Amino acid sequence: MTNALEIKDLVKFYGKRQALNSISLTVPEGEFFGFLGPNGAGKTTTIHSITGLAKYQGGSIRVFGYDAVSDYRQTRALIGFVPQEFNFDPYLTAEQILYYEAGYFGVSKKEARRRAAQLLKQFDLYTHKELDYRKLSGGMKRRLLIARGLVHEPRVLILDEPTAGVDVDLRKKLWVLLRELNQQGMTIFLTTHYIEEAERLCKRIGVIHQGNIIALETTEKLIEQLGKHVITISLDRRFPEIPRELRQFGIELAEDGNTIRLTKNEVHLNELLKAIYAQGLNVTGIDTEKTNLEDIFLGLTKEK
Amino acid sequence: MNQFIGFRALLSREILRFTSVFKQTLFPPIISSFLFISIFGYFIGRNLTMAENTPYLTFLVPGLVMMYLIESSYQNTSTSLFIARWSGYIQELLVTPLSYVEMVLAMLLGSMVRSVVVSAGVFAVSLFFERTAIMHPWVVLYFMFFVSLTFSSVGLLAGLIAEEWEHISILTTFIMTPFIYFGGVFHSAQNIPHLFQVLMQFNPIFYMVNGMRYGMIGVSDVDFKISMIVVLVFFSVLFSVVVWMFSQGYKLKK
Repeated sequence: MTNALEIKDLVKFYGKRQALNSISLTVPEGEFFGFLGPNGAGKTTTIHSITGLAKYQGGSIRVFGYDAVSDYRQTRALIGFVPQEFNFDPYLTAEQILYYEAGYFGVSKKEARRRAAQLLKQFDLYTHKELDYRKLSGGMKRRLLIARGLVHEPRVLILDEPTAGVDVDLRKKLWVLLRELNQQGMTIFLTTHYIEEAERLCKRIGVIHQGNIIALETTEKLIEQLGKHVITISLDRRFPEIPRELRQFGIELAEDGNTIRLTKNEVHLNELLKAIYAQGLNVTGIDTEKTNLEDIFLGLTKEK
Repeated sequence: MNQFIGFRALLSREILRFTSVFKQTLFPPIISSFLFISIFGYFIGRNLTMAENTPYLTFLVPGLVMMYLIESSYQNTSTSLFIARWSGYIQELLVTPLSYVEMVLAMLLGSMVRSVVVSAGVFAVSLFFERTAIMHPWVVLYFMFFVSLTFSSVGLLAGLIAEEWEHISILTTFIMTPFIYFGGVFHSAQNIPHLFQVLMQFNPIFYMVNGMRYGMIGVSDVDFKISMIVVLVFFSVLFSVVVWMFSQGYKLKK
């Protein structure tokens, strides 16, 4: 399979501060890739390096095999970029924004008009096409931003926190849309603060922290490898310490003295319950919890 | 990708930008030129003559045409680029397959369209007061073309360097306007003290104004061929600097 993005040993400095420490990652064509990291970790810098908005000092970026610097015309034509901030042309209407954007990418006038109309309809903006973008609501502006990124029919769509500050309803609608685009074959590179979003949408995830990639794995494997099951069992008696017969299960005793907590990837719950009953104890409550991507993400970025 | 389509789209956007705010971009110079021509050229200058016994009104018009050509060119690109940077819209352009040369050329030509429309408007206003035939049309076109591109390049430099709106107007007030006014728009070098005549030789706008004056009425304080060379040199240097700054991503890329 062709790689949509190949980043190799990317190094970026802002003055003396190193923002990217020789990062490497590959995104195959058709993948829905999530790029996570706390503020200032290097997500936007990576995206800006790919799209040509930032100059980098070392390494290489290839988009469908083309070099992002020497073959910039090809790479930029293949990328659709949806920035974090609204950066529309202040002199244009919603329709003109799409029409001119298509033009900058070499799309003929007639075709640009057709695509602009089609996207305005698809994104429920058609009735507002004559409006100055400043008169559009926040949700409409967000949709227009995505439509603008799609108007030249790119093969990879790069979104920099597209759902930041967006209400729950619109966020879910955007999720549906991004999933559809991905199902149609478009490669998606998404940065987000919302871990739930990455967990739901992304097939593979990269975590960047302080300019280093600290995890790069399929979402499933990341949760499987680093996730934990936590089982909390409430008992009908208090203990000053864990009964000797239960110690082999590696449980913890909560401060209240009658709640035990088991944290393991493989939980042999049956054996534990049998041992509890053998002690003449009764279970008054049981609760299970599986750590999500957010816990894993927090753990990863805290550890480093 | 068809590069010409991208270039044409940006050029067309640049023209749309200034026409969409025509009350700010096209009307003011035409109205103020009307005031200059009527008050200085017609009311005060009726009995005045300048170099080679040229009636003052006839002498003034080419100077005003050049002054508004320079001002419009500078204002167009400096405003367009500064707003693009300030609003973040410049990022939209920088992620397209357009080359830096194409971007710069589209902005310069868009600016040239505005400044040519404005200077044609100023000339049209002058026709209400005096019918003037243009003596050397090709010379006029040469100066319009290169002076407009030169000051559009200066505008791009200002648009790149400026951090605030104030910086654009500071450059206009403290550099552009004095150079234009002392460049011979309103007077001939022959009518001022010798020291100022010498100083005028170091003002590039002096050559531009006189080049236009030669093209329109055949009168000039300096050989028009020298003016042509000066303009061409200035344009070549400024254009190269602008393209180089764009290619380096100066204040455009992080």
